[in-house]
Amino acid sequence: MRKDTERPFKRVLIANRGEIAIRIIRACRELGIETVAVYSDADADALHRRAADTSVHIGPAPATESYLLVDRVVEAARSSGAQAIHPGYGFLSEQPELAEACVAAGIVFIGPAPETLAQLGDKLAARRRASAAGVPVVQGTFEPIDLATDDGTAQVRAEAKRIGWPLLVKAAAGGGGRGMRRVDGLDQLDEAVTSASREAAASFGDGSVYLERFVERARHVEVQLLGDDHGNVVALGERDCSVQRRHQKLVEEAPAPGLTTEQRRHLHGLAVNVASTVGLRNAATAEFLLSPDGEFWFLEVNARLQVEHGVTELVADVDLVHEQLWIAAGHPISARALAAAGRAAAPERHAIEIRLSAEHPGLHFAPAPGRVTRWRPPTGPGVRVDAGVEEGSEVSEHYDPLIAKLLVVAEDRPEALARLARALDELEVGGIQTTLPFDRWLLHQPDFADATGLSTDLVDRLWQPLELVSVAALRAAELAAVAATSSSTEAAPPPADGDGRADDSWWRAGIQEATERLE
Amino acid sequence: MTGPRRTRVTIEAVPLVIQPDEAEIASFEPARRGEHVSPLPMTAGDRADGIRRFEVVVDGWLFEAATEPAVRAELRERVARSAAVHHATARLTLRAQIPGRVVRLWVGVGEKVERGQRLLAIEAMKMENEIRAPQPGVVEDIRVEIGARVEREDELLSIG
Repeated sequence: MRKDTERPFKRVLIANRGEIAIRIIRACRELGIETVAVYSDADADALHRRAADTSVHIGPAPATESYLLVDRVVEAARSSGAQAIHPGYGFLSEQPELAEACVAAGIVFIGPAPETLAQLGDKLAARRRASAAGVPVVQGTFEPIDLATDDGTAQVRAEAKRIGWPLLVKAAAGGGGRGMRRVDGLDQLDEAVTSASREAAASFGDGSVYLERFVERARHVEVQLLGDDHGNVVALGERDCSVQRRHQKLVEEAPAPGLTTEQRRHLHGLAVNVASTVGLRNAATAEFLLSPDGEFWFLEVNARLQVEHGVTELVADVDLVHEQLWIAAGHPISARALAAAGRAAAPERHAIEIRLSAEHPGLHFAPAPGRVTRWRPPTGPGVRVDAGVEEGSEVSEHYDPLIAKLLVVAEDRPEALARLARALDELEVGGIQTTLPFDRWLLHQPDFADATGLSTDLVDRLWQPLELVSVAALRAAELAAVAATSSSTEAAPPPADGDGRADDSWWRAGIQEATERLE
Repeated sequence: MTGPRRTRVTIEAVPLVIQPDEAEIASFEPARRGEHVSPLPMTAGDRADGIRRFEVVVDGWLFEAATEPAVRAELRERVARSAAVHHATARLTLRAQIPGRVVRLWVGVGEKVERGQRLLAIEAMKMENEIRAPQPGVVEDIRVEIGARVEREDELLSIG
């Protein structure tokens, strides 16, 4: 047991923004750790800045001039007296440069060692590692593509033909679908490589890309890992993240539906195997494809906290960010987490997360930045909302469109689905278009509801928004007609009564009395 | 002839126009759970025309609806039609739907394009968003270049 007075760090800087910065700040506060936020010009009024105890300005709005600058982040930690840096996900979380700079500055990096990041964070190196460790990897290239030379171009074409179509161009430094392109034929190859490389360079500061076979009708299944400095590497269970669009996850759940205990044990073993070969410390996720024939194929390891870590937390009953902080301070994985790992192959709860993003699901999920004018998140039993916005927040075009994650947990999958439906009914967002219509629709699709058609192409196969928009638009027009002809919408809504606030004279009198006493 | 008083509701993004009368409106169900209606600010022009604007959310879809007395809308339309008849043209100007940066331009002035053909890409929120031709035609005018910043509603190019 840990002593009550003990805490892993006195002060931690969170090198991130939005919902994940707030998620980490919450964990720090629960452990008695002071928090330092960093923010760009665009985030001067952002929620994460105000959630932290102190904040440091690190530059202009573009991430390449602020959140992606290692020197600024480390300097912010030094000037604010932070002992450790939590990188969150995205931005610098998987760049060995930040971890190295932390080591050099005597600051703890809350994540793996720089060498581990170099081996795992580089998707290509991870592929080589996993393959060498006997873990099945998806067919593809093992070295970065070089289109700068004629030789390189010819080589890529030869490799692509060997792998066959369709294939994926992926960013070596990637994650979250950035810098990823599907290619269906030779004529699309050069273009895909070039644009993926540019997107990768913009997102990660590294334009290296590689090729991988596209496994048709595959599910995306990933394993949550924890490792410490005391030789422990454990799997806390798996997640199914098959509901994706443009290789961006939209919905995640834990456990992955339909797996047997034996399959789970096998999968978790593969993940621990990959992690052990690089001496993983802290939190990471091993991603696999599950092909229709029931085989697992290693994709990559994300050596950081994942967006969707919450579903594992809800099922395993472990706070992963707490674990990260203790592990980074040199403690072993908690007894609680070890026990959860022991139970991971036979989970007794089910959790589902939807990613609420400022995107238009009727317009190919195009970004829909703007101001959030209404924000009413759901509450009640089994519901968790990790949000990065509040009413009045500006969702900036400069950053990821994810504004909140809505998670539910219940005894089993059908109950979790019912709870999610209830929570989605309660959720109200105004001012910006979000992905909410997609989530409401998804719940009623047999492929998802019965988990019979889970595969990474589910969205492309089934999502037909036009009819949904038309039906909703007609209803919206009716509501507008009602509003236009009723007088109640002219005035501000009347104050809610029944909660004692309508008549506040008694407490005003009380305050006056108390003030007089003080004087 | 004067019929029952009707209200015209326009949702431009879809586009959709309905003109229910008072009895029909009275039969519409009020907002249910997950639906909401908020009045939006009106311009001076709106006030003069008797137009009101609302943000309406249904099933998570967000719409902007404009309402006005149908008789006024019809009158305004008649005036506009007579003015516009001499300017009829198939020319279509594409505007940016999102703020961002132009990172690709697949076409040049004078080029013939098919419906659905890729024209240009705008990078926003770290994603490339392709703009495709909504109709076939010839690219008449390109008002942006690679690297250019665009704001919402900025003109991108015209197809004639």
